Amino acid sequence: MNGSKLPGAQDAEKSVLAFLKTGLEKRCFEAVMMSHRVPAGDGYAYVLIKDPALLEGASPLPPVIPVQGAKALSALTRWGPPKETILAVMHPCEIRAAVELFKLKQASLDHIVFLSFDCPGVMPLSDYVKNPGEADRTYAAARRKWESAKMRPLCRICNEFVPAASDLHIGLLGAEEGSAWLFPVSPEGRRIMDSVGLETAVSSDAWEREAAERKTVREKERQEAHQVSRDRVSGPDGLLAAFSSCINCHNCMRVCPVCYCRQCYFDSEAFKLPPENYVERARKKGSLRLPADTLLFHLGRMSHMALSCVSCGTCEDACPMDIKVGQIFSLVADNAQKQLNYLPGRSREDPLPASVYQEEELEGVEKPYVETYSRTGDRDGAGSENQ
Amino acid sequence: MSGAFTPKIIYFMCGWCGSGGSETAAAYHLRYPENVLPFRVNCTGSLSSVHILRALIEGADGVIISGCHPGDCHYEDGNFRARRRVATVKSILNTLGLGEERIWFRYVAHGEGKRFVDTAEEFNDLIAELGPNPLKERNDT
Amino acid sequence: MAQVLKINKSVDQGLTAFLEFLLKEKKVSGVVTLKKNRGGPGISYALITRPEELDGARPLFPLMPANSGKILSRLTLRGPLKDPIAVVLKPCELRALIELVKRQQGSLENMIFISQTCPGVYPLEMSVDGDLDALASRYQDQVQSGQHIPEIRPACRSCVHFTPQNADIIVSLIAEAGLDRSCSLVLNSKKGEALADGMAGEKREQDLNSQELAHFSDHRKTARLKLFDEMGEKTKGIKGLIGLFGKCIGCHACGNACPICYCNLCFFESQPNESRPNSFRADLEKKGAARIPAGTLFYHVGRLAHMSVSCVGCGMCMDVCPVDIPVGTLFSRVGESVQKTFEYIPGSKIDEPLPVAVFKEEEFAQLGEG
Repeated sequence: MNGSKLPGAQDAEKSVLAFLKTGLEKRCFEAVMMSHRVPAGDGYAYVLIKDPALLEGASPLPPVIPVQGAKALSALTRWGPPKETILAVMHPCEIRAAVELFKLKQASLDHIVFLSFDCPGVMPLSDYVKNPGEADRTYAAARRKWESAKMRPLCRICNEFVPAASDLHIGLLGAEEGSAWLFPVSPEGRRIMDSVGLETAVSSDAWEREAAERKTVREKERQEAHQVSRDRVSGPDGLLAAFSSCINCHNCMRVCPVCYCRQCYFDSEAFKLPPENYVERARKKGSLRLPADTLLFHLGRMSHMALSCVSCGTCEDACPMDIKVGQIFSLVADNAQKQLNYLPGRSREDPLPASVYQEEELEGVEKPYVETYSRTGDRDGAGSENQ
Repeated sequence: MSGAFTPKIIYFMCGWCGSGGSETAAAYHLRYPENVLPFRVNCTGSLSSVHILRALIEGADGVIISGCHPGDCHYEDGNFRARRRVATVKSILNTLGLGEERIWFRYVAHGEGKRFVDTAEEFNDLIAELGPNPLKERNDT
Repeated sequence: MAQVLKINKSVDQGLTAFLEFLLKEKKVSGVVTLKKNRGGPGISYALITRPEELDGARPLFPLMPANSGKILSRLTLRGPLKDPIAVVLKPCELRALIELVKRQQGSLENMIFISQTCPGVYPLEMSVDGDLDALASRYQDQVQSGQHIPEIRPACRSCVHFTPQNADIIVSLIAEAGLDRSCSLVLNSKKGEALADGMAGEKREQDLNSQELAHFSDHRKTARLKLFDEMGEKTKGIKGLIGLFGKCIGCHACGNACPICYCNLCFFESQPNESRPNSFRADLEKKGAARIPAGTLFYHVGRLAHMSVSCVGCGMCMDVCPVDIPVGTLFSRVGESVQKTFEYIPGSKIDEPLPVAVFKEEEFAQLGEG
């Protein structure tokens, strides 16, 4: 595809903001949904911006993801799509989660145009909170060089940093430091570039080459990291050690974009058991950890959402006990998704794997029956064989 | 039997073919081990993953799930969905080394009494060999 | 004058021995206490029925992984306990449980409360990177000499309700000399006395060390005033509140950790509270921009309106906030002022009705009716 080199070469952020400003002024889109610095300067929040003057303080490439963008988009569109076009500037994992939420009927994508970018990752939220000013500086430097060393553990092994389901994409990889390309990924993206007045004459070859190379390296790093995680949390001892300091606060579930249930099953009546249940379990085992059912919560949450997990790592950012919950869920999710040949967020057209089936599939799951295994004839006083 | 340990096995069976199979077995006076506890659900497709997980965390050494063969489900596709759901649960347990071999999924038709008891016997022997589920010893789950 | 049982062991070992005695003599069917996690780092509550499982129990550990009032409410939500259980908990946890029971969210029946004069606990994050055992021994040294521990949570530093009047047994901790040699259990009720009957130790008539406690309280009162005044300055007006809550990510961890917030489905997470497309459009027209999701401040002010009358200042909200907002300090401050209006101290008297559940025909004339 052919795109455009964004004018202004000091800083990719500034060039993108200029593009957004023009777009708003020319009414190519009614509003932009993007990260904006909060008034106190110690955080970022998603803001829907219509007045171009309010773009000052907005950040298309923010250093943290406090609220997962797909969750914000769902809050915006759960009850219906916007009447006019909104340009949503989101990280790749947020766009993928938005596509999943669309399939789960928790977000509308009508009139939503996604603007994505090559994401080097974001910093751990707790690092940012400790010293916002310094974190901003560290991130700006890392972004210019597309370096991920200071980013979150899940970001460092992300191999989907170029989203497939986008409309417009800002290419940073392969560009000179400080500059950026803008590529139209979909017809809608192309329409917007035309109406803003950007030519689509620059080839994407250089960008594609660089992105592909990085992806190959990242895929290898991901496999290695997952193997390390797997070795660490394998077996009841490993897994319970990893979740040992869990206080069952359910933060991870609440910030997760895919966990959309207003009342989580694990907060519902089903887990409010009569005292006899807890006392009996305590009696059987001699001791019962309270709050109870912590492991069941985590495994159960995996069974509910792993197929749509986009490994965004928001859960890990929100955990007050610094448990590597994102890394564990990402590992489990990758394997569960591979089994059903599914990549969440790749395309709106891929149906949710739990909602479809094939008549013949997953041969390994059903236990084959070997008729010769029959001990019914051997048992004392057993009845006759099948007649 | 060596008398080593008696597994506690939960056998989830659908209300149509699954328990039909157990009834046919009864009609032929076939027996299966007493420590295999039947648990009827309306359809394997209605069996929540959480019930399988809870059983394995709270004291079961093994779990079998049996429902109608593909194409025979009373609710059309419940058994297909169950297969995917069980596949996902097994994948999760496999990744985390929590004994996915302690879950069996096998279709059993209404008239397959022998298949039903053979499944219970075979699984019981397997679990007896595997030993008690290490998860059930933990009081910090 | 109360009866005190003095056990000739360190305060930790003494209390654990007492719990063991209770289980072995079948005076209770179980005990709820803090216990070191078996499989990994950290500490959590456990319902223990077998005396051997008391190995690893740390009943007085200076950490609060959850407000156990919430845990005990969950335990008795569907009905009261059938057999007696002894519970070791901190004063604010007991007060929270009482507030929950007033709201039909649990039962006090068959529960025997063992609490302590509480010097405060460390922030949860210290248990993540710190060495728990080193923490605990340093803590004990400071506590017995009546020192104020600087690293404890802000909620604890400003707490003036550290003496649990409603407990059946109170472990004397604050300014109690010789914690490494003796464990003093103040038997604060008939239940407490009955429980301690038969336990090895010296019995004597003695009250809690009221002079030291009064001195301790004065210091706390000063700290509380200072902390609340600073918070008041910081959060003056809408600008101040936005300054405080700007970085809030709306995760509702504070509400979910709060013992008083018991609603199955919080109003602020329910359908009626979700924004409709029209409201965003209206905001865009009027103000040129709209924050998404909406209602960041609304959640906090709304939650204050709902629960501040019962806020016991336990500080769990601050421990779980992923972006380190001092929610607890603000909530305690507002809570205190709301409670003063009703002359109400949450959790102090089980028979005192919730102020919002009763009314007098003539009151609050200053609100200007008629």
